[in-house]
Amino acid sequence: MALEKFSYDNKIVKYFVIATVIFGLVGMLVGLTAAIQLFYPDLNFGLQYTTFGRIRPLHTNAVIFAFVGNAMFAGTYYSLQRLLKTRMFSDMLSWIHFWGWQLIILAAAISLPLGYTTSKEYAELEWPIDIAITLIWVVFGINMIGTIIKRRERHMYVAIWFYIATFVTVAVLHIVNSFEMPVTFMKSYSWYAGVQDALVQWWYGHNAVAFFLTTPFLGLMYYFLPKAANRPVYSYKLSIIHFWSLIFIYIWAGPHHLLYTSLPDWAQSLGVVFSVMLIAPSWGGMLNGLLTLRGAWDRVRENPVLKFMVVAVTAYGMATFEGPMLSLKNFNAITHFTDWIIAHVHVGGLGWNGFLTFGMLYWMIPRMWNTKLYSTKLANVHFWIGTLGIIFYALPMYIAGLTQSLMWKEFTADGFLQYPNFLETVTQIIPMYVLRAIGGTLYLIGAIMMSYNLVKTAKQGSFIANEDAEAPALEKKKITGGHWHSALERKPVLFTVLSLIAILIGGVIEMVPTFLIKSNVPTIASVKPYTPLELHGRDIYIREGCVGCHSQMVRPFRSETERYNGEYSKAGEFVYDHPFLWGSKRTGPDLHRVGKKYPDSWHYEHMYDPTRISPGSIMPPYPWLFDQMVDKEETAGKIKALRKIGVPYDIGYEEIANQDLDRQAERIVKNLKADGIEVVKEAEIVALIAYLQRLGTDIKAQETADLNQ
Amino acid sequence: MKSSIKNIFSHKQAWLLLVMLIFPLMGFAQEATESEQSIWTNEFVFYTVVGMVIVVALLTLAVAYYVLQVVKLIILREKEQKAIEEGVELAPEPSLWQRMMHKLTDSVPVEKEETVMLDHDYDGIKELDNHLPPWWTALFYVTIIFGVVYILAYHVFDTLPLQEEEYNTQMKVAAAKIEERKAEQGGDVIDENTVVFTDNASNLDTGKKIFDGQCAACHRTDGGGGVGPNLTDDYWLHGGSINDIFKTIKYGVPDKGMISWEAILSPAQMSDVSSYIVTLKGTNPPDPKAPQGDLYQEE
Repeated sequence: MALEKFSYDNKIVKYFVIATVIFGLVGMLVGLTAAIQLFYPDLNFGLQYTTFGRIRPLHTNAVIFAFVGNAMFAGTYYSLQRLLKTRMFSDMLSWIHFWGWQLIILAAAISLPLGYTTSKEYAELEWPIDIAITLIWVVFGINMIGTIIKRRERHMYVAIWFYIATFVTVAVLHIVNSFEMPVTFMKSYSWYAGVQDALVQWWYGHNAVAFFLTTPFLGLMYYFLPKAANRPVYSYKLSIIHFWSLIFIYIWAGPHHLLYTSLPDWAQSLGVVFSVMLIAPSWGGMLNGLLTLRGAWDRVRENPVLKFMVVAVTAYGMATFEGPMLSLKNFNAITHFTDWIIAHVHVGGLGWNGFLTFGMLYWMIPRMWNTKLYSTKLANVHFWIGTLGIIFYALPMYIAGLTQSLMWKEFTADGFLQYPNFLETVTQIIPMYVLRAIGGTLYLIGAIMMSYNLVKTAKQGSFIANEDAEAPALEKKKITGGHWHSALERKPVLFTVLSLIAILIGGVIEMVPTFLIKSNVPTIASVKPYTPLELHGRDIYIREGCVGCHSQMVRPFRSETERYNGEYSKAGEFVYDHPFLWGSKRTGPDLHRVGKKYPDSWHYEHMYDPTRISPGSIMPPYPWLFDQMVDKEETAGKIKALRKIGVPYDIGYEEIANQDLDRQAERIVKNLKADGIEVVKEAEIVALIAYLQRLGTDIKAQETADLNQ
Repeated sequence: MKSSIKNIFSHKQAWLLLVMLIFPLMGFAQEATESEQSIWTNEFVFYTVVGMVIVVALLTLAVAYYVLQVVKLIILREKEQKAIEEGVELAPEPSLWQRMMHKLTDSVPVEKEETVMLDHDYDGIKELDNHLPPWWTALFYVTIIFGVVYILAYHVFDTLPLQEEEYNTQMKVAAAKIEERKAEQGGDVIDENTVVFTDNASNLDTGKKIFDGQCAACHRTDGGGGVGPNLTDDYWLHGGSINDIFKTIKYGVPDKGMISWEAILSPAQMSDVSSYIVTLKGTNPPDPKAPQGDLYQEE
């Protein structure tokens, strides 16, 4: 067979690498800012664009989609071409993919600080950007599948299986979770409400971790680790079993983010058992990685690339053991909503994604620039300072989470909460927040060292934009027999379809009954749609990212129903919540039963400057809510959009909605005046107060109705 | 002697003592609290006996190990002799640990990996055909069994409580405990009728702590008033006697935004904070809220 000459496209990899490094530094810096804001609220700068509530989603989006995303594409474009012995399917698609993705990141970096957010975690971007993501993702998919089809290698290596699963699943997740009804150019309401929205969101959120942060990186590990160690992969069988079991089981585990919530019990239990079953499939990847290093451990001591990879794979193993443990209900009852989870995700993020990316870059750059690493010593220093950073990040957060949770739950012998004032449980852990910021700083310093080292490496070498290669063309012949899986490895389309089926099963089984069977969300007659003013208030709540620190989900625990003076949250209370706002972290107290708890003037003072009412509070002030006015022009559009997705506003109500809005606003203005506060009725604070005072109160009307019967 | 050991073992503390032997520090702490009890003499006997048993056991083990090594050496010598006679090289026997590891990992050693090398070659990456590690497969099976049992227990046989039932039980247990505690205290619970002012420093100190943590949010740390009324003047919306103050704290005035503290503070705590509020009267803090309500004069 004649050898064909072709070249690998390194330029596209180079661009993705540059984006990775830049956005890595930016994302970490934003994260560090958010971390410092938690003990030094002045770092909110008193600006609405830089408050914690808006910075937090900026940080998560930057590190997940900009840093890890670009790293994933860099590694995929590098390895895919070499594993398939071909250039990428289309250079044009490669560049559309690259610039499209960077534009999306730019759009996110602008829109999130401006407060355009859907509030759904890791899916905060508004609908026009969602559409752009879908298009660019499809471009990536076509480019990848096209490359696979024109390959010169008969079989697809395990790394490619993981890339395929990544492409297919992220597409499905993103499309299903982003179903939303546009209201204006940058505002939409989630198609789903309450419990159903929560289920879809955490099916997405959990699997974003699985298929954006895990499977593509397992693919990268399978290429770069054996290359760097120059050792054969430990077990082909293990690859097969852990790949299929991983993608099949992962998709079911989403409900473990919703244990002890209003999600039906059966769905919670499925989340628990599938999470536990995930231990072995996840560890399959870790084992295949670590055991591939058999006979190369002596080199791990000297080679920074291998060092980074070993810690990455170990962190992956730890996080994927911890995850299933956190999914057990009794452990979850303690850790959920606390900083423990922050520690958990950062072991994964800093350890697995970060370190694997660093290892990959240290390996790839010298090869693409045809030189040696500028300074191995500096890379070693980076390794140690980064490791230290992870430890200084994670340990304080574990302690903080546990401490706070135990304080929330502690009762005196007389049966009263030991720490009824939530703030006490916050001030207790502030030293841990300081330590965490130190850990983050160390990690960032390491990343800066790496950037310097990589730039220097590139400068001393000469870049090979098109790397020449040769291989015989793939013969067109029918091959039969062989291992059943090796037959599958020859059929990329069939492989893609089977992956799709494997990842659809779990989602369908969990979602369809939750949407169709009424008993899963028992209705409560007294729960009514929000008034127009409350709707505006809710949108302000969403815009400011309140959900980042305040849950709206009183769990069925004595410590919570006592603290949040009311019943635990019921599924039927959320039927008009587009989107749901249950939250995933309690840096401040739960707000589901805050309605009517305090007078309007309390909220007014508190939003103006929280420390006036709660000295020592770490919540930032929101002075702009007092100057900015609600846009009453938008009321009708909001009502119409919500009616289209099932909220029972009467036909034509949108025309008189603003009258109701004015009436309710006037009542609040009057209340405030009685306490000596003058405010314009259109001010945003009035709408926010209306919303907060409504929260969780409908069910109390039901109680009164029951009593009257 | 025999009977005294038996006594110790029938004693509640026996197991604790065993733990103490393992953790000397814990024993220390225990000693401090238990030293006045008569157990001390028994404890001494116990320590002596157990100490001797352990020493003897260790010595026996050492001797047994030594004998075993000697026997092994003799057998090895014989084998070596035999090997030399037959002219073959003697392969060392794998140790128990090695055998166990081999059973658990079932992996082909690095030196022999050529035997399981597949003909795969992806950009220079080769793959071995090692078996699935048996311990890993077992782990997988165990988690699957766990999953099946879990679903059966919670949703088919209903043997374990789901969250609603769990919550109800939790509340019942807590309520019973609180009742028990009340009964223990003889039912003398302070309420709005029985509460009296106290100038006891420790009570007022507790009162101040609660006030600063809970009440200052609306009434200001100095009591001068904010969202809530001024508590330092002579005018009161809901009565200025200690009984009225207690009552306002306990039941709240929901319409005006004063929440009920009955579920959050204990009667004693509410009493302390009421007394502390009484002491605020006449402190004339700067920038106070204007008087509200009726003039109250002490009787």
